[in-house]
Amino acid sequence: MLRWSATALIFATGLLDIYYGNSFAGFFENLWYVMGSIYIFTAAVIAAKFEPRFAQPAVFGYAIFLFVLWATTALGTGAGLDTVAYVDKAIEALLVVNMALLIRSSRSPNTLS
Amino acid sequence: MTQSTTKQWSTEKLLLVISMIAILAGVAIGTSVGYAVRYEAPTTRTFYLFNSSLNFDEELWGVSHDTFSPDRITVNKADKVVIIYRNIEDANEDHTFTMLDTPYTFDAVVHVGRNETTPVLSSTSDLTSVNLHQNQTAVISFTASWGGVFQYRCIYHYPTMTGYLVVLG
Repeated sequence: MLRWSATALIFATGLLDIYYGNSFAGFFENLWYVMGSIYIFTAAVIAAKFEPRFAQPAVFGYAIFLFVLWATTALGTGAGLDTVAYVDKAIEALLVVNMALLIRSSRSPNTLS
Repeated sequence: MTQSTTKQWSTEKLLLVISMIAILAGVAIGTSVGYAVRYEAPTTRTFYLFNSSLNFDEELWGVSHDTFSPDRITVNKADKVVIIYRNIEDANEDHTFTMLDTPYTFDAVVHVGRNETTPVLSSTSDLTSVNLHQNQTAVISFTASWGGVFQYRCIYHYPTMTGYLVVLG
């Protein structure tokens, strides 16, 4: 369950990043394409349970990194302060929580992962 | 970090270490970008656009003497663009604002009189062309979502009545 909700959240974030780069950004929009593409790729990796001991923490860290990167860049420049970015980052925050729970579940001795 | 090392860590410790690394990296890069990049946040830019004419005989030269004034509108990508377009002809002649072969469409509110405080004649979305009769005003608006140079024209007085929307970024 946690794996599929994580996959859905990662995929949604990836699509939103690409949409944002295409329509709104006006600020390093190519980076949004790259970030979105990485998310979509990792959605497939998480869904396939490929190397979960590495992939899950990596996605967890990547989501935190991008969230903090957005927050500090937005504070410094005023870029990315609009509704689409807020929705994108809200989903990303949910993803961080979801990934933390998934990692905990995967590392639990009672769970085959 | 090897698999055997991470296996020895508790989940809480692993999450904490990853979080700290990610936060530090995000703050470092984000702050650097903030210092290095000058960014102008998207804003609403309003332009007044008129038909104009050059002083020559159209029939003698074989082309229309009508032009746009201004014939260049420059904005940043993601800006909201508002163009207040007035047909200031002293003769009974129509003009259009038309964007063909571009990704842009626009909303247009046409007013019956010489300015945008006069009653609304029509209000339409997702247009590629709006027609104005003599002494009418149109308020054209769209978001500059695509960078590049895009042509706007009057379909009746093309090619002389042509302008360029320049979207930076």
